[in-house]
Amino acid sequence: MQPFQTHIGRAAVLDWCDVNTDLIIPARYLKRTERSGYGPLLFADKRYEPGTAPPPDDPSNQGPLAADFPLNHPELRDATVLVVGRNFGCGSSREHAVWAVQQAGFRAVVAPGKGEGFADIFESNAFKSGLLPIELDPGDWDALVAELRAAPGRVQVEIDLNECVLAAHTPTGDIRFGFEIPEEERRRLLRGLDAVAETLLLDDAITAHERSRPAWLAASSTPA
Amino acid sequence: MAETLFEQVWGRHVVASQPSATLLYIDRHLVHEVTSPQAFEGLRMAGRKVRRPGLTFATPDHNVPTDNQFQILDPLSKKQVETLRSNCREFGVELYDIGGGRQGIVHVIGPELGLTLPGLTIVCGDSHTSTHGAFGALAFGIGTSEVEHVLATQTLWQGPRPSALGVEVNGVLPPGLEPKDIILAVIRALGIGGATGCVIEYYGSAIRALGMEGRMTVCNMSIEAGARAGLIAPDDVTFEYIARADRPFAPRGAALEAALVDWKRLRTDDASAFDRNVSIDASNLAPQVTWGTNPAMTVDVGGVVPNPEDVPFATPADARRALEYMGLVPGTPIEQIAVDVVFIGSCTNGRIEDLRSAARVFEGRKVAAGVQALVVPGSEQVRKQAEAEGLDRVFREAGAEWRQAGCSMCLAMNPDKLRPGQRSASTSNRNFEGRQGPGGRTHLVSPSMAAAAAVAGRFADVRKLLK
Repeated sequence: MQPFQTHIGRAAVLDWCDVNTDLIIPARYLKRTERSGYGPLLFADKRYEPGTAPPPDDPSNQGPLAADFPLNHPELRDATVLVVGRNFGCGSSREHAVWAVQQAGFRAVVAPGKGEGFADIFESNAFKSGLLPIELDPGDWDALVAELRAAPGRVQVEIDLNECVLAAHTPTGDIRFGFEIPEEERRRLLRGLDAVAETLLLDDAITAHERSRPAWLAASSTPA
Repeated sequence: MAETLFEQVWGRHVVASQPSATLLYIDRHLVHEVTSPQAFEGLRMAGRKVRRPGLTFATPDHNVPTDNQFQILDPLSKKQVETLRSNCREFGVELYDIGGGRQGIVHVIGPELGLTLPGLTIVCGDSHTSTHGAFGALAFGIGTSEVEHVLATQTLWQGPRPSALGVEVNGVLPPGLEPKDIILAVIRALGIGGATGCVIEYYGSAIRALGMEGRMTVCNMSIEAGARAGLIAPDDVTFEYIARADRPFAPRGAALEAALVDWKRLRTDDASAFDRNVSIDASNLAPQVTWGTNPAMTVDVGGVVPNPEDVPFATPADARRALEYMGLVPGTPIEQIAVDVVFIGSCTNGRIEDLRSAARVFEGRKVAAGVQALVVPGSEQVRKQAEAEGLDRVFREAGAEWRQAGCSMCLAMNPDKLRPGQRSASTSNRNFEGRQGPGGRTHLVSPSMAAAAAVAGRFADVRKLLK
């Protein structure tokens, strides 16, 4: 996993609420068995002109971009921070949704409301894949979005995971917002650690737990 | 301090604790073809193996065609199913494959096999894993990185313990209403994000009155209110289901006796132990129909399509987008909305009780002209049982298609899907944009309401048909 310490880049806004993972990446693309190649498939049924989304077997075969989709704004094409509405990533557990956001070039997603910004599984998947999910205070989120709207493409967003601060460098000055990240997730992200390798260090504790389990838990019966 | 059922189950599985994270032991890991290939590939690349293949069980479901399971024409679908087969062989995981008699939707076969038991932790790379909570298990969906983690370690890191949300459903469910109506009403009351960060426990007289199939329907859709999981304390109904003869992995004899002593302790003694409580009276419910693009956008069948300004939990802008996508005008009575396709099946409503409910409505009636009706059993076992009861004949004589087991039209990953602009009455769990196919318009209903829509050609109050 790529470590996340600091990041600076442009931010794009998609302020719809309750954006679900079927919208982020439609199910037909989940037939792929690879872990890469999902970038062009992000928001495929919104991002391209109707009927021109890439076929599942050929993600690079992309149609013309839909003019009215907010992320297609010419000044936001190279955005690396995605600012989204409440309850982003609800619905299916597909980690492909996180991979699509990441592989489309985003390193962080910013939503309003602590404990409300992201759906649980999406947030957990984001941490595991190294996409930073930031929940801002709703008032701070409003202020950030107002700045981004006032000067599209001319605001640099700077994220410092060491300090847990998000700063927006706008044409008229800087604004700074604090955020919270669970300490264990922050530690792993900062160092880009492989969770499996870390857990395997706890093998003794896992084995001890297994020995303490009642026999009926074994699922060892022979199928009839 | 009083503990809830969820907290009891959580506490039993803690392997290690850190200030903001807990390592939980996982008792059962269910695997399907869609969210597992990258996880197995991760093991291969790191030279790791599956720690407990004996606690890991796989089946193909999402990609399986339901007209002929053995003929997967889509090369990507075929490759994904074959990848599951080769991964199961390589890593020693039991596979319930097509045609073997036990294949089906992963959340339908787990309980059938006796894998789903009270007090267990159960995970699967699928958000509807909450289904298994109907047995008093803590069951939840995980992403592919977590699938890999569970395969390698049989454990899972969780953040701070979710809060416990008590949903009390009292009263008596009126004739013509189903467990699906209960859960749609609960989601409507909570909102699509209303239970984020929570585990729901359902309790009350209307929940106790449900059979296991109905309890699974209720727990299945917990995720649609944002909940991490949903569960119901086990009771005699649960124990009777587990003790049935055809549950090969359920404990038997002395092991079952020991388990029962333990399972009877699994309960929330005091409702004040919940962090939050919500109460619903089943006696006052009417059949529920979703009108919009998330499962909280629901009205009574006698209601009308709402004004975008009056939609709870949605901004007017989001509600307008939903209306536009659905091609609906505010004020339109639900019973005037015509349907093109009816889908009865899925991990929500693809069990034998669901098919019996639908058959009661289809009996002696015909599917309306121009409507395609699919009835898709959730598993090979459900199909066999339905055929033994003659339900397949009822469906066929009514003009509905009787299919083979799979996820079918719940999500557009196999040949069963809506064409752009088509409108469905569906017993599945999500009415998201494009969920049943790009441009498809989904209305979620119960199995008997779906059957009523099939025979009427539009949404109809099933209570009138059953009189």
